[in-house]
Amino acid sequence: MTRIIYADNNATTAIAPEVYEAMIPYFTREYFNPSSMYEPARPLAEAIKTARKTIAANLGGVEPSEILFTSCATESNNAAIRGVAWANANRRHILTTAVEHPAILQVCKEMERNGYEVTYLPVDGAGNLDVPGFVRALRQDTLLVTIMHANNETGVVFPIEQLARLTKETDRSIVFHTDATQTMGKLPLDLGTTLSNVDLLSFSGHKLHAPKGVGALFIRKGTPLRPFMVGGHQEGGRRAGTENVAYIVGMARAMELAAQDHDEVERQIRRQRDRLEKTIEEKIPCAQVNGRAASRLSNTLNVSCHFVEGEGMLYQLSAHGICASSGSACTSGSLEPSHVLRALKVPFTAVHGSVRFSLSRYNTDEDIDRILEVFPGIVANLRRLSPYWDQENNRPRPEALGMMQGQGEP
Amino acid sequence: MAWEYSEKTKQLFMDAVHGKPGTHLGEIDNPDGFGEHGSIACGDAMRFTFRVLRHPTDPKEDVITEARYLTFGCTSAIASSEALCEMIEKGRYTPPTALKIRNRDIVEFLGGLPEQKIHCSVMGAEALEAAVFNWAQKRGVDLASLGVDLHGDEKAEGRVVCKCFSVTEPYLRRKIKELGLHTITEITNAIKAGGACGSCHHVPGGIQDVLDETWGRAETHLVREPKLDGPSAELSVESKTFTPYQFMKQVEKVVNEYVRPMLQRDGGDLEIVDIKNNLVYCSLKGACAGCKGASQTLSLMVEKTLKELVDESARVIPV
Repeated sequence: MTRIIYADNNATTAIAPEVYEAMIPYFTREYFNPSSMYEPARPLAEAIKTARKTIAANLGGVEPSEILFTSCATESNNAAIRGVAWANANRRHILTTAVEHPAILQVCKEMERNGYEVTYLPVDGAGNLDVPGFVRALRQDTLLVTIMHANNETGVVFPIEQLARLTKETDRSIVFHTDATQTMGKLPLDLGTTLSNVDLLSFSGHKLHAPKGVGALFIRKGTPLRPFMVGGHQEGGRRAGTENVAYIVGMARAMELAAQDHDEVERQIRRQRDRLEKTIEEKIPCAQVNGRAASRLSNTLNVSCHFVEGEGMLYQLSAHGICASSGSACTSGSLEPSHVLRALKVPFTAVHGSVRFSLSRYNTDEDIDRILEVFPGIVANLRRLSPYWDQENNRPRPEALGMMQGQGEP
Repeated sequence: MAWEYSEKTKQLFMDAVHGKPGTHLGEIDNPDGFGEHGSIACGDAMRFTFRVLRHPTDPKEDVITEARYLTFGCTSAIASSEALCEMIEKGRYTPPTALKIRNRDIVEFLGGLPEQKIHCSVMGAEALEAAVFNWAQKRGVDLASLGVDLHGDEKAEGRVVCKCFSVTEPYLRRKIKELGLHTITEITNAIKAGGACGSCHHVPGGIQDVLDETWGRAETHLVREPKLDGPSAELSVESKTFTPYQFMKQVEKVVNEYVRPMLQRDGGDLEIVDIKNNLVYCSLKGACAGCKGASQTLSLMVEKTLKELVDESARVIPV
């Protein structure tokens, strides 16, 4: 069988062997309910306590009580937005961006249906927010600002520190939430100093080599928030449901690992990503890197090849054992190409032809070699079939050239 | 979402992208029939050409001998194109009889397609139809006299119902009947209409209305959202001496007359981004931009000036 080359780490990551090791006891002998009174249950309650401490320490020394365990980042986001709204009856305005993950966007749409007003801030062609535009959008009745730390599709990083400060300087009662799912373990998240104006922060375990099914919400002490899940005393009554002990332990272990050799790993990933990016651009004509002019996560490469469709590329990559993803309409389940790439005003000749490679600590230089070996041929295969491509001269047909400026909707 | 393609679909796609002999990729020079369907903006597009063996006397007896395509699209779009060409070449069809190949025949040939990919097979059938129409024009064949209804111009004419995919009302009506579509989802799966922004679903004259008219249904269980008024966002200035308008004008005046000239001497400048209540948001430009130290010192300086010359309550926030 073909060796799997996994380059879709913004979707999920492989479970680290150390994380797996740490979880095993809780699948076998440590099965007790951590809320129970008898002695054998005590180590489980202790394990959760230790995990909470570890995570709090890794987020800039916040209080362990400020960490709430959830089932995933989507739950954390739901809990944050709905919980803030339920606790503040008087304010009806939410400020977010057009490029959020659906776990934010669809919750915001729900809020609109319930009478809230939501502002979706646009981004420019590089994927950056207009900070003055952000300031002007803050209102007297603004309840919540929810803006992602880094974008899952393009890797573009938003200036959360600055945005949170501006929010709090405008009105301390506005709650500032950020979805840090893509930055946890990749960028320093110091909620004690640089991010001291952030009230709520969501993340999950499976983006940093812990298993799927566990996440957390940081809730700064004093933030008004009604619980999303009720029906039990767990997590101080703020999130009912018997704790997922094994996974909580796994997530804490994963955060420790990420911190251990962070700089070294980040250098390795950046070097690999940059080589991938540079070589693709050299070898493939009419390829554009989406979000290149912005500050980006070092592991993400979102590249669009004009005049070909993403799904056909993914399918061929997959035949070579390479796992990646695309913002093309045909891979989304809907007929719309990625809302993120459309917000970046990627020309319509390229918006369907995007491929996202996202790396992790487990990618090797050989992985990059292999992707570079097959990817240009895959694009060429599809261009041979494309009615817009001049095969002889390996460039767009003259009548298609003008289309490359076309943006957004037809 | 993982791929749910049949083995046949996967095989045809892989053969096509690797240019295996016997595949039909390409474009015939001076074709006898030329048809296109779709557009790159919508996510898939096909160019279909064929050559016929010309009958010496009766063009209606021309036989299609060669079919080629160029397709921009996903795995199933390319496999559908390949399927269409293979079926046509094998069948030794005359162009009018080739029209008997409908999208469901392509789906059958492929051993099924996932529902949301049905539109890929429709694209093949549409491009074929356009090419036959083109052949008829070139060969002077009156298709109508053969009992063929080609709806040649309806795509370009008529009211556009779905703007995202440029679907006109006549085309939509015909497809609803031809393909037996009863819900918006079925329509979207088959011809994409309504699959993007969704604004045409329930508007007057939108897809649901066309469906209702076609199948004779009364108005269905639409849920209409009441448009709620957002709360008023009027800002009130806490300052006792100025109205909000006067406060803003005063801040602008002081900034323009005192602060900016000072900065401009050093090659810098300052822009007022916004004023809310007593909060003045400033952004540094030119030489001062991006310098954190300068930004802090400056906002203190600007704030002091505004406090003195405008109002004690003024606060400066560096952006």
